[in-house]
Amino acid sequence: MTAPFQFPPTYNFPPFFTPQPNTNTRHSQLQKWSSLIQSWCRHHRQYRISLIEAVETPLFHNAALRKRLDLREARAVVDWMSKSEEEGGGGRRAEWINESGKAMAWIWWKRPEEWADILVDWVEGTGQRGSVLTVYELIQGDMTMSQEFHGMDTDVMLRSLNILVKRGKAQIFGAEGQEGVKFF
Amino acid sequence: MMRMRGANWGRKYKVQNYQNGHAYLTSHRVCYVAAEDPRKYSVAIDLKELDRVESQAGFLKSSPKLTIYPKPQKKKPENPRSATASPAVSHQLSLHSTESLAHSSQPNLPQTSASPKPINATWICPICTFSNPVPSNFDPATASAATHLPPCLACGIKPPFTTVLKAAISTATSREPPLPTSAPSPAQAQDIVQSNSSWSVGPGGSTPCPRCTFVNHPSLAECEICGAPLAGGSSGSANRVDSPAPLFEQSHIANTEVSESIKLSFRAGGDKTFYERLKGALVQRKWLLQNAPPVPSPSQASSSPGLSSAVSVESPQPSVQRPTGVGIAGLERRGLEARKKNELVIGNSFEDLEALMASAKQIVALAETLARESGMTTSEGSAETSAVLSESAAALGMVTTKDMLSSGSETLYLSELARDLAEFLTDDRKGILQREGGIMSLIDLWAVFNRSRNGVELASPSDFQKAAELWEKLKLPVRLRRFKSGLLVVQRYDWSDEKTIGKLQDWIGELRRVPPDDPVPWDWSLFGQAITAQEAAHRFKWSVGVAAEELEMAEDKGVLCREEGIEGLRFWYNYMSLSPDSDDFSRLTI
Repeated sequence: MTAPFQFPPTYNFPPFFTPQPNTNTRHSQLQKWSSLIQSWCRHHRQYRISLIEAVETPLFHNAALRKRLDLREARAVVDWMSKSEEEGGGGRRAEWINESGKAMAWIWWKRPEEWADILVDWVEGTGQRGSVLTVYELIQGDMTMSQEFHGMDTDVMLRSLNILVKRGKAQIFGAEGQEGVKFF
Repeated sequence: MMRMRGANWGRKYKVQNYQNGHAYLTSHRVCYVAAEDPRKYSVAIDLKELDRVESQAGFLKSSPKLTIYPKPQKKKPENPRSATASPAVSHQLSLHSTESLAHSSQPNLPQTSASPKPINATWICPICTFSNPVPSNFDPATASAATHLPPCLACGIKPPFTTVLKAAISTATSREPPLPTSAPSPAQAQDIVQSNSSWSVGPGGSTPCPRCTFVNHPSLAECEICGAPLAGGSSGSANRVDSPAPLFEQSHIANTEVSESIKLSFRAGGDKTFYERLKGALVQRKWLLQNAPPVPSPSQASSSPGLSSAVSVESPQPSVQRPTGVGIAGLERRGLEARKKNELVIGNSFEDLEALMASAKQIVALAETLARESGMTTSEGSAETSAVLSESAAALGMVTTKDMLSSGSETLYLSELARDLAEFLTDDRKGILQREGGIMSLIDLWAVFNRSRNGVELASPSDFQKAAELWEKLKLPVRLRRFKSGLLVVQRYDWSDEKTIGKLQDWIGELRRVPPDDPVPWDWSLFGQAITAQEAAHRFKWSVGVAAEELEMAEDKGVLCREEGIEGLRFWYNYMSLSPDSDDFSRLTI
């Protein structure tokens, strides 16, 4: 968090902020935007962005060039990111939290499946299979301090754990807000 | 128009003040303009009033002459039958003096037809001795025994032809002027006229009849008793200046209703040409096609009394008093006159152009018939005919125009236009295409091309485009190209997008090596600099429209990308898709 975010060189390329009419150019433009947004969120440990707030951040606003991506364009980029590659999108690297409003979006710099894999790896690596952990422990516990999922958004954590439940590798129990997880 | 010196206006006698001037022939008139004081002593006669023209060669001291015979008047005011309200005596006197001049037929010339109206004549019926008038259409020169003669008004018996003829001839001779120097005329006639002159001023203004001596009321034109015409005596023999012609006022010329001939004496030559041209003009009858310009009224009407426009043989027009223009109304009227005059001049000049065009059409038609006659059947050889025709048109040095060719040969017109255009474009002297950087929009070309035609025979936009589309088919060294936006441009056939892109890339490469003048917030050595359509147009000498299209073409090919900003549309080297993916973070994992 202390180191400032390193913008890619394209960020200083003025045409980067203009939607390109050429399909090929547009595609690479969107890809570059997608990777920029993902790296920006990972750098800031953000799992969701509010577009209305984000267009004022340096992510979408290059003060040096006096260029910005307006809300409509930013929405178009996130829209593209939310689609799978088969649909001509950016590989589901984003997901609208409210599909109709399109104001908030998950930015999947790691998708829930990827998080699930990381969790399984960590559980096995630390020999905690069969033990019971609370979700709070997973996110805020001292044990996970060194892990990437430390400080993770609770909703994202629950989505990842639910994937593990479907795979039959974990079980969630307890009341809402005080869930416990047992890894198998 | 002909110019020559010396013209006689009159029949036998030289007319005073009309002895030195120029004769002009126009398509509508014969004019005489005096050398001295032309405003006063100038006359004209409309060609449509002319009956015939005779030429008379010069002999010894006699100059060559042209005698012009006007057509006979349909209605004569001094005709006793029509003159119901007879004019005052003085007026009648003047009329008759004029008439005597006009009717002064030369006895040694047999053209009695020059006096074709023996209307005043009477013939005595041999049966009942009633004096009948000779019919007005009776012409002693042409009449024969077969001519229809009306019967006697009293007894209804048809008169013998000789009686009427004699009466007509005797009346005609009796009306000869009683001038001492004239050809010997019958003494009897002289007596009558002299007695006329003596009686003309009768007591109390009354007029005695020359036949029955009844003293008539002065306002009567015919004798109340016997119906004889009451002629005022010819009194115009008093003053002579330099020619034994009667001196008369200018106003009398204005009233010359019955001037039977006009003689132009060509003292300085030119009679032959004038005669030929005049005859030609009479045959051509150009006045039928177009109204003559109005007789110019002299600017100061007051200074030329009675000679405004009335000297021509037609009925005397009252000289229109030119209203004195004051203030804005006057200015407006003057402007109106100037516009009318301009219209006239322009109309005349365009008439000439149309005549030229008409002859061009004829030439083309001739070429067509020649081509057909030279063995080409129309079915298989319409294309060949077109080819021959276009060749001949080219040989004549004619620029292809639509009017030249009939509407049926549309394709011919278009192909000719296409060739014209290609030649126009590739002409090294003009260097149209080079100057435009090898590419120009069709609209620009259209403008330049039509401008070079000096505003005549312009090519229509649709024809122009069709012709341009023919270039490829005709294998001409220029091509029409349609940009994505629909803009049509003209370029050389060997021009290609790759060449353009190569040029653009060279340019951008240059920009990446040279630091920009002002510090820029981006990495210029990586991204280079933006280029605009204006800059590209300036650098490659394209028009701006063409430059914009070429840049978009390069963008379409993925070479460039765009930046829309407050400075407008700018183009950059497409760093986004063409640079190595050094900043793709998406594949990085921890």
